[in-house]
Amino acid sequence: MISWNNNALRDVLKEVDYAEEIYKCIQCGMCAGSCPLRHHMDYPPRKIFALLRTGNIDLVLNSKSIFLCTSCYSCIVRCPRGIHVMDIMHGLAHYAIKMGKISRKNTATFGQEFWKQIYKRGRVDEKDLSRRYFFSDGIVQGIKNALSMADMGIIMLLHGRMKLLPEKPIKGIKQLRIMLDKAEQESRR
Amino acid sequence: MEKKMGVYICTGCGIGDAIDIEPIKDLVDEEFNISICKEHPFLCSPEGVELIKQDIDNEGVNTIIICACSPRVNQDVFFFGPDKIVERVNLREHVAWSQEPKDEDTQMLAEDYVRMGCSKAKDMELPEPFKAEQEYSKDILVVGGGLAGMTAALEVAKAGYKAIIVEKEDSLGGFLKKMKKRVAPPYEDLYDTGLEELVKQVNDNPNIKVYTSAVVEKTSGAPGLFSVQIKTNGSVAEEKVGAIIQATGWVPYDPKRLESLGYGKFKDVITNVELEQMASNGGIKRPSDGQSPKNVLFIQCAGQRDSEHLPYCSSVCCLVTLKQAAYIKEQDPEAVCYVLFKDMRTVGQAEEFYKKSQLAGNIFIRGTITQIGEEGGKLFIEAEDEFLGEKIRLEELDLVVLATGMVPSSQPEETPKMKAPEGAEDADEEGMIEVPPDSGFYAKPALNLEYRQGPELPTLRYGFPDSHFICFPYETRRTGIYTAGCIRRPMETARVIDDATGAAMKAIQCVEMTEKGMAVHPRSGDLSYPEVNLQRCTQCKRCTEECPFGAINEDEKANPLFNPTRCRRCGTCMGACPERVISFKNYSVVMIGNMINVINVPEEEEEKPRILVFVCENDAYPAIDMAGIKRYKWSPYVRFIPLRCLGSLNLVWIADALSRGIDGILLLGCRHGDDYQCHFIKGSELATVRLSKISETLERLALESERVRFEEVGISDYWRIPQIIEDFMNTIEEVGPNPYKGF
Amino acid sequence: MEATNQNILVVGGGMSGVTAALEAAEAGYNVILVEKRPYLGGKVTQFYHYFPKLCPPNCGLEINFKRMKQNPRIRFFTMAEPVKISGKEGDYDVTIKISPRYVTEKCTCCGKCEEVCETEIDNPFDFGLSKIKAIYLPHEFAFPMRYVMDPSIVGTEEAKKCQQACPYGAIDLDMKEQVFDIKAGAIIWAAGWEPYEANKIEYYGFGEYKNLITNVMMERLAAPNGPTDGKILRPSDNKEVKKIAFVQCAGSRDENHLPYCSGVCCLASLKQALYVREKNPESEVTIFYIDIRALDRYEDFFTKVKQDEKINFIRSKIATITEEENTGDLIVEGEDTHKGEQIRMKFDMVVLATGLVPNTINIEAPDVPKDKFGFILRDDVVKGIYGAGCVRRPTDVATSVQDATAAAIKAIQSISRR
Repeated sequence: MISWNNNALRDVLKEVDYAEEIYKCIQCGMCAGSCPLRHHMDYPPRKIFALLRTGNIDLVLNSKSIFLCTSCYSCIVRCPRGIHVMDIMHGLAHYAIKMGKISRKNTATFGQEFWKQIYKRGRVDEKDLSRRYFFSDGIVQGIKNALSMADMGIIMLLHGRMKLLPEKPIKGIKQLRIMLDKAEQESRR
Repeated sequence: MEKKMGVYICTGCGIGDAIDIEPIKDLVDEEFNISICKEHPFLCSPEGVELIKQDIDNEGVNTIIICACSPRVNQDVFFFGPDKIVERVNLREHVAWSQEPKDEDTQMLAEDYVRMGCSKAKDMELPEPFKAEQEYSKDILVVGGGLAGMTAALEVAKAGYKAIIVEKEDSLGGFLKKMKKRVAPPYEDLYDTGLEELVKQVNDNPNIKVYTSAVVEKTSGAPGLFSVQIKTNGSVAEEKVGAIIQATGWVPYDPKRLESLGYGKFKDVITNVELEQMASNGGIKRPSDGQSPKNVLFIQCAGQRDSEHLPYCSSVCCLVTLKQAAYIKEQDPEAVCYVLFKDMRTVGQAEEFYKKSQLAGNIFIRGTITQIGEEGGKLFIEAEDEFLGEKIRLEELDLVVLATGMVPSSQPEETPKMKAPEGAEDADEEGMIEVPPDSGFYAKPALNLEYRQGPELPTLRYGFPDSHFICFPYETRRTGIYTAGCIRRPMETARVIDDATGAAMKAIQCVEMTEKGMAVHPRSGDLSYPEVNLQRCTQCKRCTEECPFGAINEDEKANPLFNPTRCRRCGTCMGACPERVISFKNYSVVMIGNMINVINVPEEEEEKPRILVFVCENDAYPAIDMAGIKRYKWSPYVRFIPLRCLGSLNLVWIADALSRGIDGILLLGCRHGDDYQCHFIKGSELATVRLSKISETLERLALESERVRFEEVGISDYWRIPQIIEDFMNTIEEVGPNPYKGF
Repeated sequence: MEATNQNILVVGGGMSGVTAALEAAEAGYNVILVEKRPYLGGKVTQFYHYFPKLCPPNCGLEINFKRMKQNPRIRFFTMAEPVKISGKEGDYDVTIKISPRYVTEKCTCCGKCEEVCETEIDNPFDFGLSKIKAIYLPHEFAFPMRYVMDPSIVGTEEAKKCQQACPYGAIDLDMKEQVFDIKAGAIIWAAGWEPYEANKIEYYGFGEYKNLITNVMMERLAAPNGPTDGKILRPSDNKEVKKIAFVQCAGSRDENHLPYCSGVCCLASLKQALYVREKNPESEVTIFYIDIRALDRYEDFFTKVKQDEKINFIRSKIATITEEENTGDLIVEGEDTHKGEQIRMKFDMVVLATGLVPNTINIEAPDVPKDKFGFILRDDVVKGIYGAGCVRRPTDVATSVQDATAAAIKAIQSISRR
């Protein structure tokens, strides 16, 4: 049984950018449906929003979903209500850390989930400028860089700098997998 | 009219390749004494038409039989003025394009069709438009002075006609009087109701006369000739009007039946109607303590979409709730509104208003309420939240608003009863039976029509006298009486305005066409009307009972009293009449009977069966044309006779045909039942009922019942036509030839 | 062209335009109707059935065309559209452009030209799901019943061959575009709608996957005069469809596409689900939706469809559609927001319930109030030009007809005020 607590939401609205947009959500499920990490979430984003509306902040801040975001932008691009899903998720993660709900260490494992997804679906958008910045030393080095930063909370570092379009496996995914394997071997050395 | 007939045969489009023209010319001369019979390779060309025109000018031809393409095409080409009779014989789609060329059977088919056409033209008279003795009125009566009624009256007046409003309350406005604001396109804001301005416009318009505190006590007559008695303040006024718009609106669903949602049990559970009234009368307050509410819950579908209450969706309640949530926010920006809903139904651009309401901080919960209660002076509810997939509890609620639905004002509180016909199974102890909704005796009084088929408009489900036509949504079953607004179906105010505007159009159109003696939809413009030979009438009442439009009254001796301006010209009365005393100038039992009589029925030994097919001219006939256009082939033994509606099918035709040796009769008509497609609503259904009674005739003739069959054919069922015919031919082959051949 | 400001000009010969024209004409007013396509009837001519009665659109059109044929007050032009409107209520000058049909009134529809024509074009009537000869009758019920030649063959030997084959001299290869002016006292804009372009919804892959179709294409598959003779077969291999999905709000209620709800797609999918169930009794249907919007008595229709156990409703806005290699089956992914589960389901065919985009006034014309989506508003301030039907709101046929009837009296008022 979930009870309502209206006042609890005030701080979230203050602390988290775009949080007021949760009211716009029509609970269609597009956010989770297009999220590469949807299978790892305890609550899909739209449910996070529904929970926020009830004022049950603790349930939200203790959810691992809010730390999973890899900033692929799919949810933002596709949300039919134009909600900044990704930003809200990041904002909530920050807020959770600030509130001491979760240690930074724990977020590291999520970074690896992200790379598993890339490995599986294999798409990185080369048109994305910020991604190019990240991979400016070449893709293998870029991946190494990314992986090395996983401990520091890769998700947040990647915020806004990478675009992942999961809907279609890229051509030559095999080659990408070889590259990723190589990068991982190197990073383990 | 002294007839001078001329037959014109087109040999184009493959007709000349399929049949020999000479024998046809011979039969026209020998069997019908028509001396003018010409052929042309391209009859619809200017040269072909000129050929006919010359005969009109020089020979005095006034009855023209065109043996060419389907009557569905080239109507304008073969129009020679309103004083000429034109009959079309379909030698193209029904012969040349669907039969083996130059085959003996094809030739016989073409010859029969020409015979039938000549016979029909011989029996046809030019219709003279009906003109009543009394003076026609073009004024429009509007029953109900709410938004729909006032809009309709204003639109009528702006178009230059006079309108009379009858409103039962002491002032105009209807539900608008209770409303604070309207939500309407472009759905960006709430708007004033515009009530005062509207009432002012109505009152200031010299073309509108308003009766308040008034009811229609009696409506007699027919379109163009209605006489209406209006009871007001103890006196009765009489008005002559040409058409009627019923805009009597809706009533809220009785919330007392919603006790399970706390209504009547908890003071602070109110309906959306009550909230609206509060909002427009000084503000929204908790009934229990008069405080302004902080936490408000709206429960959507409070009765709607529930088979126990209102099975339909009331369509406006989602928007109304969004509007009312805005009232609450306006009154107290800190207040929170919760909306518990099943499906959020903000269609079209109204989705914008939903979004706006969400952005205002209102909280939308999809789910079902499981409990409502009171705790410490506040309300709480428990519900299954479908978004969270969990049970939820909302506490500290100041107000719970039930979004109740609309019930049409025509819906009676209790189903009326009538005397059961003999042998009725559902009759109660007193021999009474519930009146079915599609009867004129069902709805709550509003018009009090002096109609034999009842004082009110027949309704569909749930008491709505709406049309069940998608293409013709204004069609009611009482000619010249149109409905508008929420009596038709639940609708938001913007739709009410549009709907009432359209109804005004239909009413005006009706009075204009009536004055010219023309039928209104669906035989728009038809000048023919039924005439009855009362001397031979046996007062059997079949015509008065079966007319789908309640057009025929009865006198005290049960003689039928025809009201031609109520008539839609379907001919159902003609089909119903066992004495064959009802006929139209250009459509009669005798005319069709003679067409059947000229069909050449070969001797049994020739093994050429003959099948007569009665075809609904609105749907089945075009379907057959399409089959021809597609060059489908079918048996050359069938002969099609188009009927205005299968409802005009008179059983005597079947008896006559069978006694002439015709082997089988097929009826192709529209779907009937709940989703009827018959343009005359009951026509095809009545035909099947009559057909079920044909067994008697067949028994008398000692014939097999398989010889007569009804098939439902929709207009796009052309691909089924060959199969339907083949199946029937097979049946007839099994049954064997009609023993009456040669008698 | 006769110059009179007593004419009502109706733009668009679909259900709304035809209705508006007839309602006004039968009340005694003169109407000029222009229609862009070579035939009247509009979009509904391409539909198999209407909801909720599941009846064929041609049934009502037939009556309307009959009314039209016998009413001398209506003159209509096909392949015609307005290019410019100027003036004010009671006195408009409208420039009309008529594209060449290359076939004259002499055409009897005998079909001889079609027999000799070898060039085939994508059949616009079937949304490209079939081919048609480059000289063709647009469809069986076409009104006016007359052939039309595709401009692509004009000037070729093929065209001359068609011309020679015509026994009635009905083909005129020198036909030119005509432009002329008419006067009108009032204008009814009933230009209808276009389906939202599904390929704009990138994550669905429309145009890439053969078995991903739109709801309007589904109408053609179900129609007996459609590309599959009314059998619901999937385009990739003509296999009978057994498992089919309908994806609601494909573009509608979506700020990235059409922020408004298209109003009819829920009902259209409910109806099409019944098509599939009726034609392929072994089939299973899944409808993915956000809210089912079956207003007023249409709720009965929803109730009826829900009773079919083989029609499943899953609350989910589908996020991705991918094609399975080799089979051509489609994999649909999203979140079942009722169960809170991620779904991944395979279907033979997927139908995108795309929405309605208004064909709003897009030519030089006096200002007419519109909402931000281009839907024409009707208010009492601006008079003389009135929207009717889906140019005012995305809506069903019955409402369009009501609205067109209302527009007719508005136009009459504009004339009688003068």
